[in-house]
Order: sequence, then structure tokens, then C-alpha cells
Amino acid sequence: MEQTTGGLPGSGLAIREHDKTALESIQFNQEIQGIMAPPPENASSFTALLELPPPQAVELLHSPDCGGTAATSSASAKSLCQINNQKPYLFHSFSGNLTFPANAALIERAAKFSVFAGENSNPEDSSVVGRNSSANLDKVKNEPPESDSNPSPMQGCASDPTVENPNQRAAKRKEREKKVKVSSKKSKGVADEASGEAEKLPYVHVRARRGQATDSHSLAERARREKINARMKLLQELVPGCNKISGTALVLDEIINHVQSLQRQVEFLSMKLATVNPRIDFNLDSILATEGASLMDCNFPSTVAPLMWPEIPVNGNRQQYQQQWHVDAFHQPLWGREGGNHNFITPDNSFLSYDSSANSATLHSNQLKMEL
Amino acid sequence: MQNPRSEKLEFLQKWMEGMGKCTSLKKNMSLLERKKAIKVSADLAMASTRTESKCWSRALIANIASRDHNSKVLTEHVIGSSQCLRLRKAFTSSSFSQLKNKRMLNRTRKIMKRRRRTVRSRVKKVVMADSIARRLVQKRTEMLKRLVPGGDLMDDDVSLIEETLDYIQSLRSQVQAMRCLLATSQLMNCS
Repeated sequence: MEQTTGGLPGSGLAIREHDKTALESIQFNQEIQGIMAPPPENASSFTALLELPPPQAVELLHSPDCGGTAATSSASAKSLCQINNQKPYLFHSFSGNLTFPANAALIERAAKFSVFAGENSNPEDSSVVGRNSSANLDKVKNEPPESDSNPSPMQGCASDPTVENPNQRAAKRKEREKKVKVSSKKSKGVADEASGEAEKLPYVHVRARRGQATDSHSLAERARREKINARMKLLQELVPGCNKISGTALVLDEIINHVQSLQRQVEFLSMKLATVNPRIDFNLDSILATEGASLMDCNFPSTVAPLMWPEIPVNGNRQQYQQQWHVDAFHQPLWGREGGNHNFITPDNSFLSYDSSANSATLHSNQLKMEL
Repeated sequence: MQNPRSEKLEFLQKWMEGMGKCTSLKKNMSLLERKKAIKVSADLAMASTRTESKCWSRALIANIASRDHNSKVLTEHVIGSSQCLRLRKAFTSSSFSQLKNKRMLNRTRKIMKRRRRTVRSRVKKVVMADSIARRLVQKRTEMLKRLVPGGDLMDDDVSLIEETLDYIQSLRSQVQAMRCLLATSQLMNCS
């Protein structure tokens, strides 16, 4: 990425070295930077945005042929060394002199307009460039992310992109927004980090999507909904088996089942503990002494399981139960229901309790690894 | 988040304390009484690790403390009487009864609405997918609120989901600790 924050002369020099026709481009540069000088002072306001497009449109108009430069400008967007034509220089000088993001966003969009007749991947590169530069600076919400997520639909409307004025561009952008709704998640993600930095500004211009109200209530609603969705995602990751489910109601179903099964497990385990000991005086010191520090260790359940197996005498009935438990236990989705299965076994049957706790112990280690 | 190992140790210690207090309160408990003592002590210990940050733990402690005198003594022992008093003030029975009234009121309102809707829907049966989806989600949120302790007190979904997250995590660690204890005690009994 050629994000040069050096001044104009540096980039001008670089251009001169590369091409004979660079003199014309430098003249253009100087003209345009003379126009661009006042806007950078107030980078956040709309006026900066408005003042930029005319010079850009001007230099776009001056380009000899947009079709010919379409392919080349895409290539040049990547690196300075690949400059073969006059027009890309201008783009580079712009991106080199960028001190404010609004220009970058519009430049990239302009580049894309001229480029989208050509390859597919390059607009994404150029918009990536724009995104990198604008991520560091304050910007209008939603603008750059939309540019990078909508390269392909624009291929259809390639009438004469370079001569478009910004209004048409904005209208087309909004049409794109309507067409491609997948961009919403990406734009939210990038807009979030932008909004974090935009707080330094006096005010942020938020461009609402087409068909959505712009009053503060709906904006607050949207923010609230995004918060809820983020937390639902966390819940989905926590509860096993929820990742593949889509739809809030089903996910909530799974969560409720999980909570219920955990509560039932607690009940059953406390019942078992009550049967194991006639008096509930579990002495912590003695417990720690018998097992050593491995009690607190993450792998405690797995170390206990092999210890317990040799002690259990072979029993025909028990083996039957063992197999049943094995089949169930290795089924991840049934894990939640294991607690329910336990309830069918009376606590008095200590053989069975050995089996179930051993099996559950092996699954435990998985759970522990997931959790810790 | 705290070191999980230290959290587990703390949980075990508090649990042992609670169970020791239970035995001192009553000797020779029956099976069911023992089971209840174990469960209550475990719940208290689990909630005490999260008291400051989460609402469900405070609601759980307040619930336990308000059950009967023995439980109240136990909670005071485990949690500390001053904190217990503070929690009970925050979750006083009056506020709970208010909540109960509110819930009953909401339920009657819903029943009335449903009655009116069924009368109207006979005229034109329009199936709106989004309203159905919303009702499903609403029903499940209510169920979740009933499951998570102190869920009724939270009106907004964001905090409810956060509480559920935390509650699920602590329930899991509680289950693990109980299984560990069970395994060790069984081993001890065997050998």
C-alpha cells in the first residue's frame, strides 16, 4: 500500500521520473490542489466532500479516454511502479496526498467507476486502499464499506462513469444498497470502529440506508438491535450446537433447554452426593490430600476416569448399561439430555453411578477445554 | 475474568463452609434434607462468586434467604450478614409481590387481547409471519426470564442475555465442581 503522507512535491517528483507526459499531470495536480487546499481544514464537514468532487470530476473529464485507461488504472491502483498512463498518476497523487478520508472514499469510488468495466478484483483492492486510509481518519459512516462490498453489481451500469457527477454517483450507490443487502453486516463492522473514532468530531454525518428512517428513535433502535444480535452470537457460541441454527426463536429454544438441563444436572448431582455420604461433611483438606493438586487441575476428570475403571468388577448388567452410555455419550447434541437420562437411574445403584460419572468425566474434559 | 482455578477453589471453600454450617444446624438429616442442603450451599457458593457484577446472583441469594429461617441463617453465615441484609432490602418481598401483581396484570391483559383477537380474526384470517415470529421470540424470552433467577426484574433483552451468559457459565462450573467432588468421594469410599 502506498499510503504516503508526504507532501505534493514528493509525489510530483515520483511522477516526473516515470513518464514524459507527467508534466501535464503535474499541472493538473497543482491546479487541483490549489482548489483542494481550503477543504482539508474542515475534514469532517460535508463541505469538504462537496468541494472535492468538482475537481475530481474536472480531472476525470480531462482524461483522454476512459475506456482505454480503465484496465490500466486498475493495475496502477495497486502500486506506483506500474504506472503506464497519465490518468493513473492523478489517482496516485490524490491518494498520496490524502490527509482526510472523504477524498479517499470518493477517489476510490471514482476509481472503481472507471475500473468496474474491467476486472473484478481490482475495485476491491482500490477500495481496500480507501478503507485503510479512512480507517485511521474520521469519515462519514457507511460510505467506504459500501464501496468495497459492491463491486460486481456495478458492472451492469457502465454507461459513461467518468463523466457522472457526484449526485448520480450517490443515487447509484443507494440503488446498490437496495440490491445488495449482505453488505449490511460488513458495513456495521467497519462503521463500528469508525464511530468509535468519530466521537472526536463535533458531529457525525450518518447516512441512513435507503428505506430507513433517520430520526433518532430508529437509530437508537438499530443500535439496540445490533447490541442484542452481538450478544446472541456470544450465546450461540457458548451453547453447544447452536452455531448451525439460524433464527432467534430456535436459538432461544436451545438456550432454554441447556439452562434447564444444567439445572437438572445440579439437582441430580446433589442427590448423588447426598447418597454417597451419610453425613455431608466433605472435608476439603482430606480431599485435597488424597488427590493432591490434581483436583484443581484442568485434567482432573480425565485422570479420575482411568483410575476408576479398574476398580469396577465386571458385571453383565453393567456392561449393557456401559454400552448404552457410550453410544449416548459420544453424541454431542445429546450431551444436554444426559442429565435427563440420569434421572431414570436410582442413586442407590452405585455401579451405574460409576459408569455415568466416568463417561461424563471424559466428556467433561472436552467441556473444560472448551471453557478454560 | 478471574482465574478460573481460583474461582473454583473459592467455590469449593464456600460450599464446604455452607455444608458444615448445615450439619451444625441439624444432625442426622435425612436423604432429602441432605440433598437440599448440598444444593443450597452450592447455589449460595456459586452466587457469592458473582455477587457484585451480576443481578442473577443477588436475586438467587435473596430468594434463598427468604425461604425459611434455616436458609436465612445459612446465607448469613456464608455470605456475611451485612451483605445479606443489603440484598434482602434490595429484593424485598414487597417488590416481589409488586412484580407478581404486574405479571398477573400483564397476563390478564394478554388474555383479554387474545379473546378480542379471536373474535376479530374470524372475520378475516390473515397470517402475518413477522408477528408470529415475534410472538414466538416473546414466549421464549418469558420462559428464559422464569428460568434465570432475577430474570423478571430485567425489562430489556440486552441485560437478560448478558445475565443468561453469566448464569450458564457459572452453572457449568458448578456442575463440574460437583462432579469432581462426587468422583473423589466415591474413590475415597471405595479405597
